[in-house]
Order: sequence, then structure tokens, then C-alpha cells
Amino acid sequence: MRAVHKVKDILLLGLHSLSVHKVRSTLTALGIFIGVCGVIAMLAINEGASAEAQRTLRALGSTNIIIMSRKPPQDDSKATGRTRGALNYGLTKRDETRITGGSVPYVRRHATIHQTKKMAYLAGKNLSVSVIATEPLIAEIVRIDVLAGRFITSVDMLRRKPHCVIMAPLARSLFGYENPLGKTVRIGGEPLVVVGMLSRLPQALVGEGAEATDSVIIPRTTGMDRFGELIVEARTGSRTFERVEISRIILQMEEEKDVLAAAPIIRSLLERNHDQEDYDVKVPLELIEQKKKQMFLWNVMLVTIASVSLLVGGIGIMNIMLATVVERTREIGVRRAMGAKQWDIIAQFLVESVTLTTVGGVIGIAAGVCLPWMIQRYLQFPTETSGWTILLPFLMAVTVGLISGIYPAVRAARLDPIAALRHE
Amino acid sequence: MKELVNLEDLWKIYPVGPGVQALKGVNLRITEGEYLAIMGPSGSGKSTMLNLLGCLDRPTRGRYRLGDQDVSTLSDNELSEVRNRRIGFVFQSFNLIQQLTVVENIEVPLFYRGLPRRLRHPRSREMADMVGLGDRLYHKPAELSGGQQQRVALARALVNEPLILLADEPTGNLDTHTSNEIMVLLDELHSRGRTIIMVTHESHVAVHAERAIHMRDGQIESDTDADAENLGRHT
Repeated sequence: MRAVHKVKDILLLGLHSLSVHKVRSTLTALGIFIGVCGVIAMLAINEGASAEAQRTLRALGSTNIIIMSRKPPQDDSKATGRTRGALNYGLTKRDETRITGGSVPYVRRHATIHQTKKMAYLAGKNLSVSVIATEPLIAEIVRIDVLAGRFITSVDMLRRKPHCVIMAPLARSLFGYENPLGKTVRIGGEPLVVVGMLSRLPQALVGEGAEATDSVIIPRTTGMDRFGELIVEARTGSRTFERVEISRIILQMEEEKDVLAAAPIIRSLLERNHDQEDYDVKVPLELIEQKKKQMFLWNVMLVTIASVSLLVGGIGIMNIMLATVVERTREIGVRRAMGAKQWDIIAQFLVESVTLTTVGGVIGIAAGVCLPWMIQRYLQFPTETSGWTILLPFLMAVTVGLISGIYPAVRAARLDPIAALRHE
Repeated sequence: MKELVNLEDLWKIYPVGPGVQALKGVNLRITEGEYLAIMGPSGSGKSTMLNLLGCLDRPTRGRYRLGDQDVSTLSDNELSEVRNRRIGFVFQSFNLIQQLTVVENIEVPLFYRGLPRRLRHPRSREMADMVGLGDRLYHKPAELSGGQQQRVALARALVNEPLILLADEPTGNLDTHTSNEIMVLLDELHSRGRTIIMVTHESHVAVHAERAIHMRDGQIESDTDADAENLGRHT
């Protein structure tokens, strides 16, 4: 009971002496405030950026491996043969068989994609679109959100139907506010009937360098029939012809852990059968892990910077507290004469330094939470504030207060009461 | 009468150079209700004596009994407790805490005794009334005259009902008029049975005491009560 009043009283005593020196206390707490606020904000920005990156990667599917054709660096001596002036490169049907035929374990299912650029024509409108020829199975491998109608089916595939599913933004620019379902659009000169509309398409399907928003999905067989494998790219004054059998193979593994086991097998398999780097194996899970590691390193760095700024704040506090002890030597002597134990004096000064950092820390938290919020709101930059990004800087600040307060407080308590009483 | 203070062969040697002998085997007994003045030139050891009596310091050798307790070998914490409960200090320069009000200053010893605020406050007001400052409770020391400040210090010294009141040149910073006021207050306390030990070098102050000892070179040179002591009044 007695100890309880005493703790409370010493707390009030500390607050009282802080309130006597308002400007000094404010400035000292400011150092801690800036430290805490800065760290919380920095961590929030880093967490936000990496969470965003992870979300994007996760959308590719963490159990997936994506193998894509890549145009090899222009080196004619090494280039594989040209047939009728077209450059051949990339994944082949033989690659597909090799990979999915049993040599790579844990493959659950897979789908292939052939992608070309075509012009879409409708009622006088001409738009460049990416035509993605794939299998219905793809919908089970990556997430596809159907807004209206349906996705391509195995019947479309078997019957080689001239059906297509288009992205909502593209439908909007082609059909305006009309319902596109059941309407025919000419793509690359071929009339295709719109059977469905999608609101979202993962980047894995579209590939790099293409916009998901202007994609048209058709059955793989239909694509073969109507457009073949030739990719014609028209530039001003010239045309390049490229022949790619398969643009991308998307493999879905049984479990997440299988991805890391299968990836090296696929890589070595492809390496053996391709004499140039005309493919790329992308493992979202690896990238996620990489991202996480990278984020961790960033966090370590930020926390280190924070420690330095809090250290500077701590030195500031120690400095002020030492000055305070000297200034109040006489008071310490009087208190000792009146019966204060050494511990009472230590507690009194520690309360002051810890209060300074706690107040600085609490205001720092408030500002540190607001700052990322404003960044997100006004700069549209994703931020994420979590429990530990708030708690850690705060605890660090309080620890700094304790540590930097201990030395001056002990020095005050160790003063010889007689000498302290005579101090001028 | 009960014996309050008993110094037996008390030595204080400061470890400076060859060792400065500030007290050389002092013997002194003080009984309850006595009013004692310690006099002597500077360097005579009277300050050391006061520090030892006030339990601010420990003797190098010898024994000091205060009340029923041997305080010559207590730890720092225990000495703090003794100072808190058994000794009241009045200093030449008042030594009030500047940022605290009158009431808060008087409360300081109660605070270190661990008394809760609700008990401290009425007690502290009562003491302020006793020294005639009941209308200055919430003033800061800087707003008071020297005499008023010394009266606050007196109230503070007595708030824990100490065994002895130690006054170190209590009128040293006051003019004649206020000095008298303080001395009257001390006389009054004495008449009510307080044990007072006062260090002074002013003989017109010392005459208020009923007993005076003179110190020189760390020893008691004379004691107005020595004859009585020789007769064995205190043994």
C-alpha cells in the first residue's frame, strides 16, 4: 500500500518538474518524437510497398510455375533457323511434352498459351488487341473473374468454335454501352462471337509488355486454325515475322513446396534442349520469398537508422538530465536530508527521462500513423501499419529513455548529501 | 529525563592527504527537552559534529546512540530513514525547494515517509498554521520574506515529530528583527518540550539555549553543563 502511493507520488513529482521546464521538456521530447514518427512511417511505407509486390506475385499463383518464350538477343550467328523469313524461337510442343510428360514431378495440371497481336474491327473502330489462345483449363490454374456470359469451354475447344471472351474495358471501347454478348467482332479478319466478358485477368496470362485490359481470349484450337503460329509485327515501313509455337506454359503443382523442387528440374530440362536463352522460367513463390527477404533487409536497415536517430535523441536526454542534476544539486541534498533514499532520487529522475521519451513516443506514434495514412490517401502509395511497426519504435524509445536516464539519475543519487546541501 | 543522544569517543577523519582529523574523540550526552548551542570558530569541527548528529555522515570511529538505536554503523538507506523520522533540519539558507509551494515543501518529509497525499495535506496545513503561515499555503518560497521562509523550514523540520531539531545557524541569513522572531519561535518550541541542537557562532543567539558547548580543534573545549555531568547527573 505504502509503495503504491510512493510510486504514484514519484510519478507526479517527475511530471511536476517537467512541467516547470516546458520548453526544455518539449524540445527534448521532440527528438524522440521525430525518431519514433520517422521509423513508424518508414516501416509502414516499406511494408506497404512489399505487401503490394507480394500481392501482385501471389496473383500469379504461388503453386504455379510460368515458363515463357522470350525473344533471344539479336545475334544472327546463333539464331535458330529462319523459315520463309520468320524468326523461330521459344517454347515448342516438344518442350511441353518433355515437361508435362512425367519427367517433372508434382505437376498437377498445365495449360499453354499462344499470344499474338491482332487488330479488332467493329463498326468502323479499329483497335489493337492481344489475342490469347488458350485452354479452358486455365481458369482452374489462375483466377479468372467472369463478369458476364461464360469462359471458353472444352466444347469450344473441341469444335474449334469461333468464340471469344473479351475483357470488360475492351468491350466498352468496342461496343460502348451495348451488351457485347452474342455479338460478332472481327479480329485479325476473322469473325468471332463474344460469349463472355471478364473483369480481371492475371498478368500471368497476358505476359509482360501487354495490357490485360485489351485482351481477347479464344480457344487454343480456334487460334491454331485461324491465326497459326506466325506472329506478325508490323512497324512503320517494315514487318517482322516471328514463329513461336507456345508463348507460355503455366504449370500448377500439387503443393507450394513442390514448386521449389520442380523449378530446377524444369530449368535444366530446358537448358539441355535449347541452345539459346529463348525462354524464361518464372516461379512466383521464389519471387515472393525473394521479396520477403528483401523486405526483411530493408526493415533491418530502417530499424538501424531508427536506432541511430533514437540514440541521438537519447544522448540529448542524457545531456539535459545531467544538466538538470547539476542545477538541482541543492534540491537533491535537501531531499536526502529530509529522508529520501538513493532509490527515491533515482526513481525521481528516471521518471522524468522516461516520461519525456514516452510522451515523445506516444505523439510519435500518433503522427507516425497519420503520416502513412496521408501518403496513401494523397499520393496513392500503398502503406501498411501493423502492431509491431508501432510497438517496436515505441519500446525502443522507452528503452532509450531508461538507459539515458539511468546514468544521470544514479549520479544524482550518489551525491554526498552534505556536499549537495552546500552546493551553490 | 530520558537520554536522547549519546556520543562516545566519536572520531571523524577525512581521508584527504594525511587524513584530516575533524573530530577527535568527542563525548556528549543530550537529554530529552534540552536546548543546546554548539559554538566555536570555523574549523573547530562544529559542522562535522552537526553532520554526524544529523546522520548525514558516519563517524570514523566511536559510537552514536540516538534514542534507543545505535546509528553509527547504519547503511545509507537506514540513515535516510533515521533522518526522515527522528531528525528535523533547519539550515542557514532555508533550503526550501523553489518550485514547490509552502504546503508542498512542508510535505516533503511526509512524502518520503510514504504517507498518502490525503494524509499529508492536512498535516502540512496544520504545521503551516503553527508557524503562522496558514494564509501563505500556496505561495512559492521566492514570494516569501526570509523570516517566512525560515518558518516554513521549521514547519517542515517538525512535520514528522522528530526526536531532535538540528538548527545550523538558523538566523545567519536574517536581519535582527526577523532573527528575534525565529529565536522566539525556537524558545517556544523548547518550552513545549522540544529537544533543540543549534550550531551558531553568535553569542546573542546562543544565550537562548540553556546549555552551550564550545568546540576547538575537534574537541569539546567547554560545556556549561560539564559540572553537572561530572556530578554524574546523566549517568
